[in-house]
Amino acid sequence: MSRRFVVGLTTIITLGAVWYLVMMPLGLVSPGRFPSPDDVWFSFRQVAFTGYANGLLYQHALQSLRLVVFGFFVAAGTGVPLGLLMGWSRRAEALINPVFLLIRPIPPLAWIPLAILWLGIGDAAKVMVIWFAAFVPSVINSFTGVRTIEPYVIEAARMLGTPRYRFVAEVLIPAAAPLIFTGLRLSLQASWTTLVAAELVGALYGLGRVLNVAQQDIYPGMIFIGMACVAIFGWAMTRLLAEVEARALPWIQMARAS
Amino acid sequence: MAAITFDAVRKAFGGKIGFVALKCVDLAIADQEFVAIVGPSGCGKTTSLRLVAGFEFPTAGSVKVDGRRVSGPGPDRAVVFQQFALFPWKTVFDNIALGLRNKGIAKAERNSRVAKAITLMNLEGYEAAFPHQLSGGMQQRVAIARAYVLDPDVLLMDEPFGSLDAQTRTTMQEELVRLARLIPRTVLFVTHAVEEAVYLADRVAIMTRRPGRIKEVIDIRSVRVAEKWDQHERIEDVMDLESFIHWRTHIWRSLREEKSAQER
Amino acid sequence: MIVDLSRPLTRIEAAAYGTVGVLLFLGIWSLLSLSGAAPREFLPTPYQVATRFGQLLSTQFAGATLPQHLVSSIMRFAYGFLLGAAVGIPLGLLMGWFRVLDEIVSPVFDAFRFIAPIAWVPFAALWFGTGIGGPILIIFAGAFPPCLINSYRGARFVSRPLIEAAQMLGTRNLHIILEVLLPASTASIVAGLRVSAGLGWQSLIGAELIVASTGVGFMMVQAQLNIATATVMSAMVAVGIVGFLIDAGLRWIEAAVRRRGFA
Repeated sequence: MSRRFVVGLTTIITLGAVWYLVMMPLGLVSPGRFPSPDDVWFSFRQVAFTGYANGLLYQHALQSLRLVVFGFFVAAGTGVPLGLLMGWSRRAEALINPVFLLIRPIPPLAWIPLAILWLGIGDAAKVMVIWFAAFVPSVINSFTGVRTIEPYVIEAARMLGTPRYRFVAEVLIPAAAPLIFTGLRLSLQASWTTLVAAELVGALYGLGRVLNVAQQDIYPGMIFIGMACVAIFGWAMTRLLAEVEARALPWIQMARAS
Repeated sequence: MAAITFDAVRKAFGGKIGFVALKCVDLAIADQEFVAIVGPSGCGKTTSLRLVAGFEFPTAGSVKVDGRRVSGPGPDRAVVFQQFALFPWKTVFDNIALGLRNKGIAKAERNSRVAKAITLMNLEGYEAAFPHQLSGGMQQRVAIARAYVLDPDVLLMDEPFGSLDAQTRTTMQEELVRLARLIPRTVLFVTHAVEEAVYLADRVAIMTRRPGRIKEVIDIRSVRVAEKWDQHERIEDVMDLESFIHWRTHIWRSLREEKSAQER
Repeated sequence: MIVDLSRPLTRIEAAAYGTVGVLLFLGIWSLLSLSGAAPREFLPTPYQVATRFGQLLSTQFAGATLPQHLVSSIMRFAYGFLLGAAVGIPLGLLMGWFRVLDEIVSPVFDAFRFIAPIAWVPFAALWFGTGIGGPILIIFAGAFPPCLINSYRGARFVSRPLIEAAQMLGTRNLHIILEVLLPASTASIVAGLRVSAGLGWQSLIGAELIVASTGVGFMMVQAQLNIATATVMSAMVAVGIVGFLIDAGLRWIEAAVRRRGFA
């Protein structure tokens, strides 16, 4: 066990103990404002087994997750090819970049009111906002991924007489892959953050909805649960993507090491 | 096999930093001849190679391979890059095989050719390795195997041993000589290391400083044959010979003139 | 084979393509609006949006003019952002230097890090009501992590010879932090500030959508409820412009830092 692990664990346990002590016997903080460990446990049992905000925990989580996954794939599926195209073709870049630069400064969350206006508070509006949030990092990183390919790699491919389709599949994309994955990671994080925000503003189901209702009910324990779920799922998705990256690009670990 | 001709070649690069890389290059390389170009840095020797490779085009004059103007890169003029330029995501085998796949060669034939190239370059056992698992010398061997397997008309080598440490460099030079005697083809070899050029080449072309043109061409082959350099297996034995030293020094002096003119 | 990548476009060519792109975009937008493919209330023409934007500069909507709303928003942003930097940068540097501090703080930080800033809204509302503390908490949640991470990385990965040289010259701990780590990390810190500002500005807008009674986000929500689409879009443009200016300012600082030779 490394020292780092031990110290870390001790810190967490200490904080946990402080939390418990402050809330329970000492009653230093008003229970209406801040959840005690008991409150949290109670809330968890409620939302997981009885239901809260019109659904059980797994239902809310599933709703949020499926929207994120769908939105993410649509955004990445459009963003990565566009970024690759803009990286490869100076003409495409010159044509699209100005429009892209106009749209880009608008923060994704700022699209929420417009999305609600156009599409209501259902799934479609959420996907639209996620798309705006997740699209940009995918484009930018795929673009940079192509632009930072060393010229001699491209020249070697040309010298070998590589036809276009094979060039894209076996040279361009693998060469840009590390940065493409960076873009995917940022896109996924943006998707998740944006979805939670969109659900907080207006939704019928989902983790954001749970947070929203808990806020209106002034229910700190449930707020805590909601936040914890947001954090856990956010972390889990990032880990999953990292695993996919490690499998897809086995050579990158060695490349990074050397 | 094919011959290479540079005919009054001029190459200027435009844009914000406009400069003339090559002033007027005339050079004829015969079929199966091994020609090295040496010159001070920035003189345009790499540019000359890139013109034959088809990555650049002359501003005036013509570069012809086998009588036809060069119109773009291709496997008939295989290139070995200084940076190796292997694809890090492909195994050694796949790196070597790509050119053959592009030519549409059938799998069985392909596998046998790649296997032969691997044996030729002493890479047995490393077929499934990735480039980053190999040393610099081995990576360059893969690059040479990749070039050889194409059975190219012309082999273009751009300071191929420049990134290697001194010991590996000598080993590779010996191997290249062995290879060149075994499977002769037209080779254009760019280097700034004079000893390397004298050791490897049939003729050595000395390029002036930028804007470059060919200052002098020295026929090493006749000397090598007359003085029986090939009898000596080891490079240090060849480099010890008087004839070798004489021509090496001659070329050094010629380059030094260029360098001091450049500095003035 | 595509040779496009090897040939950069001339300035004029690039400008021409760019103009065509923008015109196409505006054209398609206008067409969709004018043809009635989308109902007029939901998709005003670019011209209508521009006009509305101009109006909002002096006319009130949801209690204040656009510039007044912007000022409220920017003030909140500034407080939250500066707080995030003021806490994050020193803490990051200290963590980069004192390993123990790193070991204590990191697990806590990592646990909180994955909570999307916007998820703090309910607690912010609970603790601060509609006071300014709420948005500041949320902006802080967004702005703090990049500041911490970047200054930590900057300090942690300062080249060893630099530190050893300082130690050889007899520099003590606190001074090492101020005179070696801080200058050497400047580039990383400024890069972190840029990310921080972006996240902070975005968090602010998100917060204002839910728990504010003034500000651009609040304005957008009110406009949405009233189906005043042109107003929503004008507010989005304003948010984009401010965000762009903040980023441009920090980019300028980044370049200035680089020019002065800080890493």
